[in-house]
Amino acid sequence: MALAEICKISNAPYMRPNAWSSADVEEEQKGLMCNLANPYTLAAPPFENPLHNLNQIQANGDKTGVKINFDHGTTTLGFKFKGGVLLAVDSRATGGSYIGSQSMKKIVEINQFMLGTLAGGAADCVYWDRVLSKECRLHELRNKERISVAAASKIMANIAHEYKGMGLSMGMMLAGYDKRGPGLYYVDSEGSRTPGNLFSVGSGSLYAYGVLDSGYHWDLEDKEAQELGRRAIYHATFRDAYSGGIIRVYHIKEDGWVNISNTDCMELHYMYQEQLKQQAAK
Amino acid sequence: METLLGIKGPDFVMLAADTTHARSIIVMKEDQNKIHKVSDSLLISTVGESGDTEQFTEFISKNIALYKMRNGYDLSPRESAHFTRKNLAEYLRSRTPYQVFMFVAGYDPNAGPELTFIDYLANALPVNYAGHGYGAIFASSIYDRYWHPNITQAEAYDVFKKCIAEIQKRLVVNLKNFTVAVVDKDGVRDLEPISAASLAA
Amino acid sequence: MSILAYNGGCVVAMRGKDCVAIATDHRFGIQAQTISTDFKKVFHIGPRMFLGLTGLQTDILTVRDRLMFRKNLYETRENREMCPKPFSAMMSSFLYEHRFGPYFIEPVVAGLDPKTMEPFICNMDLIGCPNAPDDFVVAGTCAEQLYGMCETLWKPDLEPDQLFEVIAQSIVNAFDRDAMSGWGATVYIIEKDKITERTLKTRMD
Repeated sequence: MALAEICKISNAPYMRPNAWSSADVEEEQKGLMCNLANPYTLAAPPFENPLHNLNQIQANGDKTGVKINFDHGTTTLGFKFKGGVLLAVDSRATGGSYIGSQSMKKIVEINQFMLGTLAGGAADCVYWDRVLSKECRLHELRNKERISVAAASKIMANIAHEYKGMGLSMGMMLAGYDKRGPGLYYVDSEGSRTPGNLFSVGSGSLYAYGVLDSGYHWDLEDKEAQELGRRAIYHATFRDAYSGGIIRVYHIKEDGWVNISNTDCMELHYMYQEQLKQQAAK
Repeated sequence: METLLGIKGPDFVMLAADTTHARSIIVMKEDQNKIHKVSDSLLISTVGESGDTEQFTEFISKNIALYKMRNGYDLSPRESAHFTRKNLAEYLRSRTPYQVFMFVAGYDPNAGPELTFIDYLANALPVNYAGHGYGAIFASSIYDRYWHPNITQAEAYDVFKKCIAEIQKRLVVNLKNFTVAVVDKDGVRDLEPISAASLAA
Repeated sequence: MSILAYNGGCVVAMRGKDCVAIATDHRFGIQAQTISTDFKKVFHIGPRMFLGLTGLQTDILTVRDRLMFRKNLYETRENREMCPKPFSAMMSSFLYEHRFGPYFIEPVVAGLDPKTMEPFICNMDLIGCPNAPDDFVVAGTCAEQLYGMCETLWKPDLEPDQLFEVIAQSIVNAFDRDAMSGWGATVYIIEKDKITERTLKTRMD
């Protein structure tokens, strides 16, 4: 301190101990953990005009080697029928052609009466489904009644539309049972949202549609519907390199969702092969 | 895009092809036949770049006919497929590659039915069932679901009906009509075409 | 995506004690779409010699046919069986012939020398740079995974049945982490007096 006295700088602003006001602390904290308090605040890309430049970076990725290989590739499906709503999904996560995981949970349990499926960027889907869970819970606390599937999907579509063009990649189905009965909505990162009776989303969806359309009708029994969903996903995992792993089937009825089965594709394949053999022997 | 389908059974091969001839965004005609009878027991179905399809299919079929004239007997389906692939592969590395996707389907009295998948790179493989074009993606899982080793001609025709119904339901492009042909021990013959109208009936 | 990964697939070969093993997957795909699950990329080209080819399927077929032509010509002229070593040399120069417009394949040769019964394995890049190590060679879309598995499981002087176990575990666990290969596998064990072919039960997704 003596030296500072001699130099006559002991009163200079930079020599004063930090006496931060609580406002300063708050400001500092905001910068360090912005989406902890508010999940809608994400860090902007570290360059100008992100809408345009992010796409440029991705497009030139093969040359520059900075391409971001998001986890993607999926088969998910959902349909409404006499007995409620059925969802079936695979569990493979790939980055490029590398299989990152064979045990992803692509169905998110939003609450006891509503489920969401994920396809597209794994991180995008997981994050925004979590935000949606929170919003749904808050809605329940504020209004003393469960949120409708229509309202929940609208929240999701609003989020997606807010970030449109920024490179989010999501294709999700929201399914549930509310006072209007069974509900099934498709929402994607383009911001589109549409209700429907039957959807399939993801790289293997074309294969799933083939089996689904040729076996679907409204009056399916519960067991038949579960088998149809499982079978459609199985055929998609067989044909699509980016789908596989475990096939999870969920059934939503008036009193909430039930996880019907989680079966390994390999087990299913050899079971169906055996059935084919027995059929041929007859 | 155009679509070809093919199924092999224990004693026959059945092919289906759409009949659309499109140029840019215009449908030129709706009754183009894409399944060609090459010999008494050989069918070739071709799609791809227009011009290339006619030229290459004709080149192959005339050469197969020439072989019969020279030798007095037909090229077997397997040999025909090999000949087709070899030519396509050689043209692939020339300045004038052919952009064609095809099925070579035939019946050999000794070796039985044979269905060969060939794409524009001359990737080739004998298969039990396959397809070309966007429509084939929807069809492939229907094959996996409904095909079995003892499939009959009637069942195969039914599988095609399922595939075509699905293509007409899900594919953005409108493929109204499909011609169907079969080759078995009695030779080649056309079957009833499958169209949106016939499916609705 | 690389043209070498267009159709998917992988091959691995290993040396054992007085034996060699070579294994292939069964997938033939067009990018993400699996077209067929019975395309074996390993060909039996001599009494104790196998050729494995991965990469673009059209070139697999072309190269296999052209090499067989050259090999048959050699055997007719010389009136003796072609050994794996000269076959590899011949393949190397064949591939280099197309230096400026290569065939998009990665070959693997495995066999026993007909005279000395010495095991031989060899692989090459697409323009014919040969590599004949004394442990194992890999090729295909899951080459990295295969290296990892082989480095861990392989050891010198494996007996035929041990070698089978090692190569089977290596290929199955390697392609289970790769979307572009798999859908069944076949292992060939080559010994001086017999060849064993075994089909593996694998995941089909």
